[in-house]
Amino acid sequence: MIENLFQRKILIFLLVYLFLTSHINALDFKAYGFIQPETSIYINGDGKHNQDNYNTSLFGKGTFISYLQEGDAKFTISAIGRFDQNDDELRYLDFQKFKYEYYFDDIALKVGNEIVFWGVNETFNIVDIINQSNLAEDIAGTKKLGQPMASISYSQDYGIFDIYLMPYFRERPFSSKEGRPRLLFEVDKNSITYESSAKKHKMDFALRYSAVIEDLDIGLSHFYGNNRTPVLSPNPSTLKFDSHYPILSQTGVDIQATKGPWLYKLESVSAKDGSERHLSAAGGIEYTYYGIRNTQSDLGVIVEYAFDDRNDNPFNNEGVIGLRWSLNDIKSSSLLAGYLFDIRGNSNRFQAEFEQRVNDDLKLFFDVSLNGSIDKADFTYQFKQDSSLTLKLAKYF
Amino acid sequence: MKIYSFLFILILTFNFSSFAETDEEIGLKIAKEAYESTRGYIDSTSEQLMILIDPKGNEVIREISGKNLENMDPNDGDKSLIFFNKPKDVEGTVMLSHTHVNDDDDQWLYLPALGRVKRISSSNKSGAFMGSEISFEDFSGLDYRKYDWKYLGEENYEGELCYKLESYPKYENSGYTKRIGLTDELLRARKIEYYDRKGDLLKTIYFEDHKLYNDTIWFADTFRVVNHQNDNSTIYKWENRQLNIGLNKKDFEKSSLMRLAD
Repeated sequence: MIENLFQRKILIFLLVYLFLTSHINALDFKAYGFIQPETSIYINGDGKHNQDNYNTSLFGKGTFISYLQEGDAKFTISAIGRFDQNDDELRYLDFQKFKYEYYFDDIALKVGNEIVFWGVNETFNIVDIINQSNLAEDIAGTKKLGQPMASISYSQDYGIFDIYLMPYFRERPFSSKEGRPRLLFEVDKNSITYESSAKKHKMDFALRYSAVIEDLDIGLSHFYGNNRTPVLSPNPSTLKFDSHYPILSQTGVDIQATKGPWLYKLESVSAKDGSERHLSAAGGIEYTYYGIRNTQSDLGVIVEYAFDDRNDNPFNNEGVIGLRWSLNDIKSSSLLAGYLFDIRGNSNRFQAEFEQRVNDDLKLFFDVSLNGSIDKADFTYQFKQDSSLTLKLAKYF
Repeated sequence: MKIYSFLFILILTFNFSSFAETDEEIGLKIAKEAYESTRGYIDSTSEQLMILIDPKGNEVIREISGKNLENMDPNDGDKSLIFFNKPKDVEGTVMLSHTHVNDDDDQWLYLPALGRVKRISSSNKSGAFMGSEISFEDFSGLDYRKYDWKYLGEENYEGELCYKLESYPKYENSGYTKRIGLTDELLRARKIEYYDRKGDLLKTIYFEDHKLYNDTIWFADTFRVVNHQNDNSTIYKWENRQLNIGLNKKDFEKSSLMRLAD
């Protein structure tokens, strides 16, 4: 699965480096991970595209961290993988992190695969752009692929500057024909075009300034490179989607104000995608009631709204109301439930995630995803039949 | 140090009987001196083990490791980093706190599952820490600036004469209305009883395994917490505690969370 030369070179370099330095320094390391069998039932029966109404899957994650040079350097591997019963695209191994970092006093250097998250929102992460989303894993795009990069971080009292150079682009994975939920057509992996002549070898570039000013956490960012989101167009001869990755130039801002139990969040981007410029903004409020009804449990209420000036964008006028209930018990039981709705249309969806520790190294997850009424014109119409219940059991080691 | 403390107590005792100081002034004086005797640690690292015990005697283990940085600003609180190790599902999670004396702390949490640092609300300093009977508020429970004090007299505790002090939190989101504690002649807290927001006795923390660090500072290496309302208890132990080891101040900033995590 190390699909390109760049990553392979880094891998070899790091392994040689690690081998050489491990003789000099006592190897100080941490390793941990989990494996997680999952099973899903699709309550509307077979899918729109004859997908199975039942699925099992095995997911795993392993993390290895080695501290080198008396803590001045660090080497990290964090890999995830899945073996899915039905979806070929969900049989993969991904190096989320495979990186070497070196720290000077004010400067940190990093080379390798990394996950970088920008932003503050719970639902609408519009500023976040560094990593490609794995849409086969999660249609909302929250699951990412490790991004190969070299980065420099410079920190001062007034804030931090991060510069990222990304020499290799990773195409977006979509569910395969058997996957569920999936788009109307399959995404044709043999018909991908780029605006950039360097294609996936285009050197993407990003810059971020972030700072904490008392109650405010702020970030300003700029990205120039292949858009992570392709334009999909149906090809009448193959009956598949062709993908085109335009060049994206995106300037973003993200702000969170933390005022006691209130969190105020705002993200906004102005972006030139191909030839078109657009503006989008998303933000919200989160309030937490602590110790409800004289118990240890907390109840958080989250409201977020997303706006996009492109009429064809699926998130052009969307809201979410969420509840986060943490029991703060010995089992760390918690429930996160959200109701997403299109403000202009009448499409809506409900999602909930419950989790509870079973014992020291077992944890149970139960996810519910229900589609309500969905407009035929809505982007999510193609997933209308895909309401599901998923049970997961993670075994930690 | 011991002699100094002893002399100080003699002077204090002399003061108590000789001058018309109010019980509030005496209480504050003892609490302030007790707090100041724990200062000067500069920075520290430790491993912390929690044993959570339910009324049936079932035990659950929690393990974290911590780093602390003393704040020399007399009007502000210390900074701390907590690395979560057990239970295993929280391994890799890191929490940074910039504590404040009578205000909400600033807290950030690195969540490895999301690869994301979140600024979190800290208005729940009184919430259960990792499902235990101890709350975040209790870790800074000896900071005299957080309470109004009242000296209640002397009381024998385990064969030693202790000062009995009542204290009332100044912080509006405190989980308590009142505490009654015993502080011994070496100015070490020995036990504190906590009264909840309704004024009922909630729990007692017994401070045990006192150890003299760097020949100057006494720390209790065990907190034994007994909740009188739900009959749960927690044994909280500090291990391998080291002081004044020259930690990098920059580690205690938000920007370092990713670097200290995975």
